[in-house]
Amino acid sequence: MHVLVIEDDREHAEFIEKVLSEAGHSVETVDDGAGGLSRARQDQYDALVVDRMLPEKPGIQLVEEFRNGGGTTPALFLSALSDVDNRVEGLKAGADDYLAKPFAPEELVARVEALGRRQSSSEPPVTVLRVGDLEMDLLGRKVTRGEAKIDLQPREFKLLEYLMRHAGQTVTRTMLLEKVWNYHFDPQTNVIDVHISRLRAKIDKEFDHQLLQTVRGAGYCLQA
Amino acid sequence: MISGPFAFVRTTTFRLALVYSIIFALFSAGLLAYLFQATVGEMRAEAKSRLESEFRTLAVAWSAGGPSRLEQSLLERVLVDLREFTYRFESASGDGIVADIPRMPVEPPEEYGQPRVVIFEIERPGPVGGSEIIPIEALIVRLGDDSVLLVGVRMDERIRQVNRITRVVATAAPIGFLLALVGGFFSARYAASRAESLTKTAEGVMSGDLSLRAPVGGSGDEFDRLAEQLNAMLERLEKLMASTRHAGDSIAHDLRSPLSRLRNQLEARLRGPIDEVSARETLGETVEEVDRVLATFNAILSLSRVHAGAEGKLVDLDVSELCEEMAELFEPACEDAGIAFTFNIASGLELSGDRALLAQAVANLLDNAVKYTPSGETIGFSAILKDQEIEVTVEDSGPGIPEQDLERVKDRFVRLDDARTQPGSGLGLALVDAVAELHKGRFDISRSQSKSGLKATLILPAKR
Repeated sequence: MHVLVIEDDREHAEFIEKVLSEAGHSVETVDDGAGGLSRARQDQYDALVVDRMLPEKPGIQLVEEFRNGGGTTPALFLSALSDVDNRVEGLKAGADDYLAKPFAPEELVARVEALGRRQSSSEPPVTVLRVGDLEMDLLGRKVTRGEAKIDLQPREFKLLEYLMRHAGQTVTRTMLLEKVWNYHFDPQTNVIDVHISRLRAKIDKEFDHQLLQTVRGAGYCLQA
Repeated sequence: MISGPFAFVRTTTFRLALVYSIIFALFSAGLLAYLFQATVGEMRAEAKSRLESEFRTLAVAWSAGGPSRLEQSLLERVLVDLREFTYRFESASGDGIVADIPRMPVEPPEEYGQPRVVIFEIERPGPVGGSEIIPIEALIVRLGDDSVLLVGVRMDERIRQVNRITRVVATAAPIGFLLALVGGFFSARYAASRAESLTKTAEGVMSGDLSLRAPVGGSGDEFDRLAEQLNAMLERLEKLMASTRHAGDSIAHDLRSPLSRLRNQLEARLRGPIDEVSARETLGETVEEVDRVLATFNAILSLSRVHAGAEGKLVDLDVSELCEEMAELFEPACEDAGIAFTFNIASGLELSGDRALLAQAVANLLDNAVKYTPSGETIGFSAILKDQEIEVTVEDSGPGIPEQDLERVKDRFVRLDDARTQPGSGLGLALVDAVAELHKGRFDISRSQSKSGLKATLILPAKR
């Protein structure tokens, strides 16, 4: 992916660049809001990573102007302000995701990759998701793997749908709690892991090839 | 700010008093003028009409019976002792004179039948010796036979009355003005002193004492309302300040020790030999430690914000749905830990609240229960409506908390000895308490009657 990072704190920008480059993405950095906006308009990026507090043009304003000018590149806000209100404000301005500082590198990579995927999958309306021999019929609400039919609870269905839509990417526990349950908090117990292991028991247990992998220290990845 | 000998001129008290008195004086002057006109004017008009009617009676006597009849009438009148009118009639020849006035005081008019008003004074012996001057208002006319008739009325009584009234008005006006000034001064000073007490409070607060409150009189007037608003504002400010200070203290107090520990560890490693394996290990540990510090820091921050009421927009919220989602979220974790999880959530529980914070609070309670309940025990989760309040309860059959520690666990950073081995910042229940307060509810911790473990109840006012 081609990612534009707009962040004024040099060390922080370098850290983000390093993390994303290591994950195999090409990164450009800009250190002020106005410059960031013109760069975002000039080139075709797969994702924008925007700090909320920028010199010259605050992140919120930057994304708003970018969207008003017809820019569709998905954007992720980085902010030290983590309140729900601030998150809502950021999303309203036209950002697609919001990550509070400090964050784990895996979390950033996972979220940026999820952004890139979102754009490419938004074009044709998808009714069937496939990962390997696992197939999800979104209209009929049916899941099969090979010949076997898999019965899922509504929440398990949503969880699997999210994982399948982001197949091949790492998704973190907080991303799952946010996107599947729509809650923004840090559970101290392993609630998400238990849901994942239940899902895994249904889709992987009877099969030799394990689709749902645990990514150590980061989250999970569904991969053919 | 205000100084000099005439500084008082600039005070609100003085200005209000002055304006008040001037307005009062203008009104009083108008009222007195009306009173004067109504009494004195009326008296004068009445005297004049009586004089005219007497004059007419005599004129009729003359025209009906000639001078002799007139003389007769006059003689009858002059003989009455206490009479209102005085007369003088001089016939043309000068011999027939009926009079109680010694001489004609003015030149009679030349033309005939045209009565004229004249005013003059006569001197007559007073009732107690000496003499008195009596002012007379009279009508004088030259009759057709060249005789002259004068009918007068005494003005002295009237003048005395007018003087009396004038005196009363003249005394009343300055006294009234003075009273208005005094009244104005006192009422203005009352208003100004109320304003002054608010100013004093504000000054005191500015000099650093946030606990000061403006006095509220209890009459519910504008000043009381202003004072109440000011006090409410100060209350809020004080709370914000306290929470900021508290957060600052907590940060200083509770982050210093892990940071110092971290620093010491790093320094110890620096002093020893460094090879790649040990360096990697140290860095890994360091990152973990820093993550813990950051988590604690975030928890302190959000707790302070909830306490200050800075976070949390209250919207209509379906608590039943939220609790069901929480139950569904935590149930597998309980089962995994070998804990029997039952829940009983009434439908249609609604309140005005902050979804994210309530979810966090309920999750904290369930987190706690899962963490401290051993395998083989039970956790009960319920949400019910009781007396217009929503009670969200998490109880377990675990070991519970000793009676003497029940209240203490809600405090910040309190971690009972058994809990030290478990992950957590010690802020979980403090946050639940703060969320309860934000929603104008309560947070109770007690020994569970039915399960003999811990019972934590979040009580929130239901939407009416």
